[in-house]
Amino acid sequence: MISSMSAEPSSLIYMVAGESASASITSNIFNSLLKYNKDLDLEGELAEKWEISKDQKTITFTLKPNLKWADGKPLTSADVLFTWQAVINPQTASPYASDYALVKQAETPDERTFRVTYDQAYAPALDSWAGLQVLPKHLLEGQDLHSTTFAREPVGSSYYRLGDWKHGENITLTRNPNSVLGPANIEKLVTRIIPDNSAQFLELMADNIDSMGLDPIKYSRIIPARPELKKRLNLYKELGNSYTYLGFNLKHKPFDDVRVRKAINYAIDKQEIIDGVYLGLGINIASPYKPGTRWSNPDLMPYPYNPAKAKALLKEAGFVDTDGDGILERDSKPFTFEIITNNGNKEREKTAIFIQRRLKEIGIDVSIRSIEWASFISRFIKTGDFDVVILGWGLGLDPDQFNIWHSSQQKPGQFNFIGYNNPSVDRLLEQGRTELDPDKRMKIYHKFAKVLLEDSPVVYLSAGYGLTAIHKRIQGIINPIPPAGVGYDSQKWYIPEPLRRNEISTN
Amino acid sequence: MLKYLIKRVLWMIPMLVGISLISFFIMHLAPGDITNNEAAFNPKASEESRQKLREMYNLDKPVIVQYGLWLKRMATLDFGNSFASHQKPVFWQKTDKEGNVTKGMIQEALPITLLINVLGLVITLTLAIPLGVIAARNHMGWQDKSITLFNFIGFSIPGFWLSLLLMYWLGVVNDWLPISGIHSLNYESLSTWGKIKDTLSHLMMPVIIPSITGLAGITLFIKNGMLDVLQQDYITTARAKGLNEHRVVYTHALRNALLPLITIIGLSIPGLIGGSVIAETIFAIPGMGKLFYDAVLMRDFPVVMGVLTIGAALTLIGNLLADIAYAWADPRVRRGVVRN
Repeated sequence: MISSMSAEPSSLIYMVAGESASASITSNIFNSLLKYNKDLDLEGELAEKWEISKDQKTITFTLKPNLKWADGKPLTSADVLFTWQAVINPQTASPYASDYALVKQAETPDERTFRVTYDQAYAPALDSWAGLQVLPKHLLEGQDLHSTTFAREPVGSSYYRLGDWKHGENITLTRNPNSVLGPANIEKLVTRIIPDNSAQFLELMADNIDSMGLDPIKYSRIIPARPELKKRLNLYKELGNSYTYLGFNLKHKPFDDVRVRKAINYAIDKQEIIDGVYLGLGINIASPYKPGTRWSNPDLMPYPYNPAKAKALLKEAGFVDTDGDGILERDSKPFTFEIITNNGNKEREKTAIFIQRRLKEIGIDVSIRSIEWASFISRFIKTGDFDVVILGWGLGLDPDQFNIWHSSQQKPGQFNFIGYNNPSVDRLLEQGRTELDPDKRMKIYHKFAKVLLEDSPVVYLSAGYGLTAIHKRIQGIINPIPPAGVGYDSQKWYIPEPLRRNEISTN
Repeated sequence: MLKYLIKRVLWMIPMLVGISLISFFIMHLAPGDITNNEAAFNPKASEESRQKLREMYNLDKPVIVQYGLWLKRMATLDFGNSFASHQKPVFWQKTDKEGNVTKGMIQEALPITLLINVLGLVITLTLAIPLGVIAARNHMGWQDKSITLFNFIGFSIPGFWLSLLLMYWLGVVNDWLPISGIHSLNYESLSTWGKIKDTLSHLMMPVIIPSITGLAGITLFIKNGMLDVLQQDYITTARAKGLNEHRVVYTHALRNALLPLITIIGLSIPGLIGGSVIAETIFAIPGMGKLFYDAVLMRDFPVVMGVLTIGAALTLIGNLLADIAYAWADPRVRRGVVRN
């Protein structure tokens, strides 16, 4: 199977690389203790079972028996311990070290047992162990993870092993006969690195690659209009793990006033944005969780488009058009602000234009500026020198969003850069972090999302669908797509003999 | 002559230091550093770990100190290691204690860019010289006008647009040429001849398309040089002697008309190592242009500085070579240099 991606991984140790290009390759090579099943509940991967102590501070993992690395060496709890030590080592400079640094003590009573103890109960811990790809101690001991050559020739335990990495061209994975989860069906996975999206699509049209991610235009206009492509490709649509929002700088007037935030929320027609920007391939959300998952509160409704209500709220907040120029004023200052977003993201730029028009209708003068990413972050986000931003959040599968909303996370470089400060939200986020029981946790986050929606520190704009085209020769894809996504259980995909590509198959 | 050369070479050292100093400061004027990349904007990545990274790369130190550290490394010709690619050497391969060899980023990107640019230059010149001569000999005639028209069309067509159209036509509609990349996936299993053919077919579009768009300038140069020379007295003399027109144009005139080309080629030496970002992105070629562009976006300072320094050095060397070659080819210049 040949797929494509636009950027090359910088390292094949995900904890060091940290970018999605790395994750999409390493997830085929390495295993974690836990994984999410197709309904996004946790289950064991390397671990056979795990136990949480009564005080919720200690988690004991028991590994499956007879685990092996791709090179045949046994995989034991010592490898897990080594990986944990390596990740929290400052020398490694892992961007994700903070979750693991909370572990007070880690021990390996025997070869199959790995036990971690936290200072206080930490609910996202399980998610973090599902995210930590276990590395082989026997190959990495004494090396600097940040610069080791292992990052370019990794040995893992999962379905595939690295066959060949032609720098800048392609990465070939071959089936790992020692895979701890049993062998995969497809023998070779080739990922071609094609930076330009149009070139990728031309390769798909010429049947040189089997799958690629699509944008809405290709998904709903170009492919359906071409019978020869429609005949060859299956199209998949799944809700992505991210959403776009309009975020207010809550430290700037007048965005400290909840009536103003609500008014803007009412004044924006989200459906229009979804239809216009995403060609209808997105949905309206009311909480920062993926709809349909346990954490998303089904009782919450997004703010409807209601310009009359928006005007009334603004009037209540003291905004009136006194000089008759169509722009509202308060204390004889016109209501005008700038929306900033990162350039290169066409969807966000278009979204800003829709918002600009709708806000003009209720008397707010909006200008738009898009800025190169590194400048955007260091000049505007870090310094808090902005009024309103359009940005997106990628969502983890764990509901904890302490880093985004808790009032303690406002220092430069932290993620509550909008300056949200609500004691009741703070309390709920703290509770959610220490509650390991999924049902109790769910109630906490449902309540959290409700307060957040009422407070409207951000306007949820849309959650877009992830769109994928996969050649029909690839069979065994779960349909309908499970909550875990189209790629779930891809080791069970297969290509019937006559349809295989002879340029890459070995027999 | 020798004294002059030595002086020129010695002058290059302070020039290089000056260029690198200015580059270094301008690079640091752009806001942000490696820790601001998109992957780091993830709620799971903490500010503390970014701070650690900054300390590790000395990004927390004043710019002048960072420059000093860079210069100290450069004094031993060590271009340092990339930030974004986790300590991959910037320039040439390094061997670690265990004997593992890690290839340098420029080392990997340079050969393909060089190959494409040299082939492109050869194609441009082989087309531009005859076109220029024809245009000059038929000045204001239909040949001249159609060559000018062709050149201006080639010059004004956006390269990426032409590339995409040709990729669609030659690669999708007709299965004549590969669309992107530089090798087929079954490259390893091909015979030597098959490998050459495979690489050439992959290079066809990335080499020829930029050559067409680059043709206009050089053709005009040749044409103007030729027009100039054809009006000289010695051409009249040659014609008066009764030499046939062929000899006059190709032996007497062309050689002199080609003199400015030496300067152009000398100046294009640094350009040979700088790839085109757009062409490399569209054709998925892992060359120098893409390397430099990505490094700028990622604020991967050692790579940016590495490419800039090599580019600057080659520019200076290119200038020097052009001057030497000019002196060698043109006696007037040679005598002028010696007299001074």
